Amino acid sequence: MIGMDVPQLIQTSATYADNIMIFVVFAFSLNLLQGYAGQVSVAPAAFGAIGGYTLGYLVINDTSILNTPLGALLPMIIGMFGAAIVGALVAFPALRLTTEWLILLTLAVQTIVISLVQTVSKLGGTYGLQNISTGTYAGLQVFGKSLDQPADMFPLFLVLTLIVAAVCWRMGESPYGRVLRGIREDEIACRSLGKNVFLYKTVVFGVTAGMAGLAGAMQVINISVASPPLFDFSISSTIVAMVVIGGAGNLWGSIIGVAVLVLMEPLFEHVLNFGADQAALWRLIAFGAMLIIVLLVRPAGLLPDKVTRSLGKTLAKTKDKPDDFVPHPDLEEMHVIEEHLTPADKVQVMPRAVAIADKNSNGQSAGTAVTGTADVVLTVKGLSKRFGGIVAAENLDIELRRGTITALVGPNGAGKTTVFNLITGAIRPDAGEVFLGGENIVGLTPDKVAKRGMARSFQAVRIFPRLSVLENVALGVQHQPGEKIVQLFGNIPRTMKVEKEVRERSREWLSFVGMADFVDQPAGGLAFGQQKLVALARVLATEAEVLLLDEPASGIDHQWVNVMLGLIEQIREQGRTVCIVEHNLHVVERLADHTYFMELGRITAQGSFAELTTDKRLAEAYFGTA
Amino acid sequence: MGSVNFGNFAQLLADGIFNGTAYGLIGVGFSIILSVSGRFHIAYAMTYTLAAYVAAWMGTQFGMPFWPALLIGALAAAVAGALMERLIYLPLSLRALSVGSDPLLIMFVASLGLTVILRNGIALATLSQSSVNIQGFSNQGLNWGPITVTTLNLTMFVTTWVLVFGLWALLNLTSLGRMVRAVRANWEMSLCVGIDPSLIFVAVFVIGSFFSGVAGVFSATFSSATPELGLNGPFFYALVVAFVAGLTSGPIRIALVGVALGVVEAMSTLFLPTQFTPLVVFAILFFYVALRPVNFKELRRKMLPKAQVAT
Repeated sequence: MIGMDVPQLIQTSATYADNIMIFVVFAFSLNLLQGYAGQVSVAPAAFGAIGGYTLGYLVINDTSILNTPLGALLPMIIGMFGAAIVGALVAFPALRLTTEWLILLTLAVQTIVISLVQTVSKLGGTYGLQNISTGTYAGLQVFGKSLDQPADMFPLFLVLTLIVAAVCWRMGESPYGRVLRGIREDEIACRSLGKNVFLYKTVVFGVTAGMAGLAGAMQVINISVASPPLFDFSISSTIVAMVVIGGAGNLWGSIIGVAVLVLMEPLFEHVLNFGADQAALWRLIAFGAMLIIVLLVRPAGLLPDKVTRSLGKTLAKTKDKPDDFVPHPDLEEMHVIEEHLTPADKVQVMPRAVAIADKNSNGQSAGTAVTGTADVVLTVKGLSKRFGGIVAAENLDIELRRGTITALVGPNGAGKTTVFNLITGAIRPDAGEVFLGGENIVGLTPDKVAKRGMARSFQAVRIFPRLSVLENVALGVQHQPGEKIVQLFGNIPRTMKVEKEVRERSREWLSFVGMADFVDQPAGGLAFGQQKLVALARVLATEAEVLLLDEPASGIDHQWVNVMLGLIEQIREQGRTVCIVEHNLHVVERLADHTYFMELGRITAQGSFAELTTDKRLAEAYFGTA
Repeated sequence: MGSVNFGNFAQLLADGIFNGTAYGLIGVGFSIILSVSGRFHIAYAMTYTLAAYVAAWMGTQFGMPFWPALLIGALAAAVAGALMERLIYLPLSLRALSVGSDPLLIMFVASLGLTVILRNGIALATLSQSSVNIQGFSNQGLNWGPITVTTLNLTMFVTTWVLVFGLWALLNLTSLGRMVRAVRANWEMSLCVGIDPSLIFVAVFVIGSFFSGVAGVFSATFSSATPELGLNGPFFYALVVAFVAGLTSGPIRIALVGVALGVVEAMSTLFLPTQFTPLVVFAILFFYVALRPVNFKELRRKMLPKAQVAT
């Protein structure tokens, strides 16, 4: 750098600054997709190519497109939307793929796009579109300001980068981003909480592809050429490397990742004084080595996101001392807390459930006495499902009554969990009807079923490990404007106000299950029993009228079982309708108002628990003779 | 394009089969690495290239004949692959698990790093040489009726199928093969029966990289070795073949899918200009991935684990 005069130095610095901003836009878009939503893509540069080539093609074919006040910004925006549309289309096949298939699919997209631009002669073939700015008479300009020199582009690029950063930050660090991270952790759990996972994925694929398209257009403005090497697989992999090195799920990390990689070039060329040929090779070798070293030293990137960081610490700690966890004192004293709760407290904790209970004319505490009289909330009629030769469910008739607990019991393989899968829409039944509040919900997806007021928990908890305990529960809360893209940007004050309420309410649900002291901890670092309580708080937060709890007391040790059962009884007292799948007969005996007994996909007996245990055949075969 | 007559068709078919055999060879090597160890090993492209350079070097430096040079080149690839697994992937996968990151993605990026290092390292080491040729194979054309084949094509064809059947025998008839299949099915479980998965991972890297090396040497014998030899084309073909065949398929099936791909690619030139053939391959891949039907068998296994045990 020595020997440059000042204007030259400014232009050189601006060149690097421009480059950094272009790749920051690329990296932000990929980070939102990959770090937040967990959707791997190795094709960011391909979407850049769509944006960049669109701009180049439009300008070269008809320079009058530059005559609006927007100048070069108009074809840039068109390129951005073009890339966004292609991105959303690519999302459709990508919707149900796992990581390795996503890598493969996006690799195919990357290769197809670059092969296409190389083969189409109108796009300049292997040479690409040359002299985009000088081919026009006046050169490129935006709002009358020329874009000839690197320093001229700086303000435009800065504004665009800041806009992209703001959009990414808003989408990532908000209730919307919480859903995206939930999808990253566990799609099935997200759907069970009423999130339309497909829609979120399509939107995030489209938006991030649009941003990559914008970055591609910036690159083409930057060097006035749109050519295949600008957007090939090696560029895509560099962008992936920037995001992974910086730390997925952390936008600041991406800036660091980009700066490090872009500034390696002047370091090798000007500071270390290698010859041009060798400098380029050494720089790339150093780049590769750095990738590996960073991954070995900091596998979550230079700046991991907050929860991942503390989860790493927690896991490292628990590795040293595996079994030193003791339940929170609040939990052991749960019964005391219950006694201290005034009815007003309970209203605060369970606002909607109580409202439902108040609607019940019989008002008094629900229990075995009301089983026969309470209204039927869920009716299952003739539900059947076969998997090949295996009968998973045959002609099932089930009724769930308001304010009662119904238990599905039976041996392993009887199809109990399948019943949950069938009535929540996770599996489509071959025949039969499911009426929830009078409406037939067969054919609805799990997220729609959850929105209509029936939520489920999972035997294997399906907690979101790299989300905090509070975020886990907040994902259960319904009707959040911040989870909708239009309101997220269109009504910021309201989304902020509601978000405050959501966090408050999530805290209340967590104190209800006795986990209030853990709000900021990553859920993945909790003991299994605690995770089950968080999962219960999460399903309660949906305020669904019907709760399907899959083995709520399994896999947790004795003292937790009591806590869990106490909570479920309280839920019933609030007038919610509960159905449990359970193996532990003590649990069923204590909780169930009505019990269905299942064998090989059929309901073979029903009644109160006492009635079932006196059935001679069942007692001999399953309950063990007394 | 051109006119479609029998001779033309037969020649395309033969070209497709020979090219496809090469795709099959690299597909088999790639898929055994990915399916057993779970490493998305892009640097596979570089063991392919490395073998070609080593074989060429053996010829020019020591006057070594073709076959020993091929063997040493492929063995160098095998050693390089084993070292990558042992020194990079294995420690990295353990670290990744400790922070709860997606190990697959981390392996992918690390593999990217390895690829960049090797590609540019080779370029740096051979900066003065424009191209590097493999010595000692006198390639001759043979006319079989309407079609022309070369001795190099035939040699590669036979070598590939010997290796593929050899791998099949190894996997199905030996105790090592049984262990490889056990680790592929469930590496955690294999620990319980006394198999050390980390050794099996090294074994599949040795096998897979050896396959890539053989393919790389043949490819360089057809043309010449460049640092880019394994990138782009061969690596992508390996991916397409491995995924379309199904990662856990046997080597014979994977190799046959490679042949099929080669034939489809060759036949596509009947309908499309040749510059579109890579597009055809990737379009096949795209639609295969996009329209891949739901794996019902897998789904059923997940939904009804208990029922299946009961019956």
